[in-house]
Amino acid sequence: MKKHLGTKSFFVIAAVFTLATLAGDALAQTKTTKIRYALGDIVTHDDLNLLIALDRAKARGVEVEITPFKSEDLATQAVINGQADIGQGTPYAVIQKLKAPVRFFYQLSALQFFPVVDKSLYKTWKDLDGQDIVVHSRGSGTEAIMSMMAKHHGIKYKSVSYVPGSEVRALAMLKGNIKASIVDNTNKNLLMKEAPDKFLVLPLGEIKASDEALFATNAFLDANKAAVGILLEELLKVWREINKDPAFAVRERQRLGLLKDLPAKLEGEVEPYFKQAVAGGIFPNDGGLAGAVKNDFEFFTASGALQGTPQELKADDFWNLAPLKAALAKVGG
Amino acid sequence: MLVFGAWEIAGRIPISLAFPTFGETVAALLALIADGSLIKAYASTLQPLLIGIAVSAVVGVAAGVGMGLSRSLEWLALPIFIILQAAPLAAIIPLITYIYGIGLTAKSLAVILLATPVVVMNAYKGIRNTDPSLIAMGRSFLGTRTQQILKIMIPHARGLIFAGLRLGLAMGFVGVVVAELLITPTGIGDLITYHGSVANYAEMYASIVSIVALAAVTIGALERVERRLFRATGAAA
Repeated sequence: MKKHLGTKSFFVIAAVFTLATLAGDALAQTKTTKIRYALGDIVTHDDLNLLIALDRAKARGVEVEITPFKSEDLATQAVINGQADIGQGTPYAVIQKLKAPVRFFYQLSALQFFPVVDKSLYKTWKDLDGQDIVVHSRGSGTEAIMSMMAKHHGIKYKSVSYVPGSEVRALAMLKGNIKASIVDNTNKNLLMKEAPDKFLVLPLGEIKASDEALFATNAFLDANKAAVGILLEELLKVWREINKDPAFAVRERQRLGLLKDLPAKLEGEVEPYFKQAVAGGIFPNDGGLAGAVKNDFEFFTASGALQGTPQELKADDFWNLAPLKAALAKVGG
Repeated sequence: MLVFGAWEIAGRIPISLAFPTFGETVAALLALIADGSLIKAYASTLQPLLIGIAVSAVVGVAAGVGMGLSRSLEWLALPIFIILQAAPLAAIIPLITYIYGIGLTAKSLAVILLATPVVVMNAYKGIRNTDPSLIAMGRSFLGTRTQQILKIMIPHARGLIFAGLRLGLAMGFVGVVVAELLITPTGIGDLITYHGSVANYAEMYASIVSIVALAAVTIGALERVERRLFRATGAAA
């Protein structure tokens, strides 16, 4: 009798253990990892690809919480000081000068800017010789592009003024306060839509440096390999879908109910934005890899954000490509 | 010395990678002076500051005195200045650009918007709170209204008027830096923005320290002028 009870108890305990282990595994699989994402801007329609990828990552247990900051500098500080896990931007100067243990690990997009001029005054780059131009800020990518073009065309601007924000410069151009500037894709479209006969886009050589890249501390990347891997896989998949068909962003927005509060005026700009971005090749299918590093070193040393020559700089001091390579091995390519 | 010592220690720990030591900041300040960038920046920053302060002082004192003397002017203008004083001007300043663009006018206006209400309110309170017995005494000596204003009310209110000018100057410094950070980065705002964006944090802090020091010295100097003036006339501030 005693022996019989003992056997029964053994089976009951074994069953309980088995169930508990299975339940534990299931719980572990559905456990959500939270990532705090610092964005140095407001979330708008040109972030749709990112939002789609984040939605997919969430379905796989990686919840990314975006916090918009006033500027990229503040977003960078949030990552360095541990208030955010991942940041978005290109803080090369911070990594180099502070020797911050922060590394880029994914190129979201390459630079795509458009030099726009009042065509009643200027027709070519040569016409800008001795003229006033307006860029985003001192030491910015927009200033670097305009300086490179001035060098390329053998011209010298009379003055370079700084007005942060493409939307502010576009508004000032529409009001006639600025005659020559450089704006992003969205605001170039706005200018051409609002005053098609007033403005002209000057031709720009191919510039492939990063506009937006993801960065995090090495400690975070090492401690969260699985979550970072899922995020990168979804980013790569969505980027490739959009490169195949830019309308994918519009369809997914409707299907997933993203950016519900997008003003009706901007809704019609989503597809043209992604079409032009894809045509401009700004969304890499491979997350950047060594090509992004090389292009960035060339551009950011020329802009003055990075000190030294591209040949002197070491990729490992700025980029951690291991998570991206692991994600590429999974999604292929 | 205690503050500077604490700063040096905080920078050496460091409390943040972006926080320079006091020594690095002083060195950066000297470098900015030596290469002329600080002087060039102040040549730009002082323009909207001086224009804004001058307009605020003249318009503010005149409006405040007028409101103190006239009930109808008080009824008309007081709510405007109370609202301006309470309004979150950092949120309003970017709106100025829609009307006045991004140049000197917009920045001067930002200084005026911040500095004027406090000048007005102090001048108004100074006049309105004139001791009634002094006015009665003036009347009993058959003093005209102009004599009452010039010989009793304004001398009585000048302590508060000067206090308003001092506070207005302080607000003007706040206004010009906010304008240079929010409208377009020029002058000292450009130095703060640029050095922050290229991670030259010692230079960024040096620029901030320089404007704080300039504001403190200027306000201190105005206080000394105020004390000297009142000592000379025997009036209390």
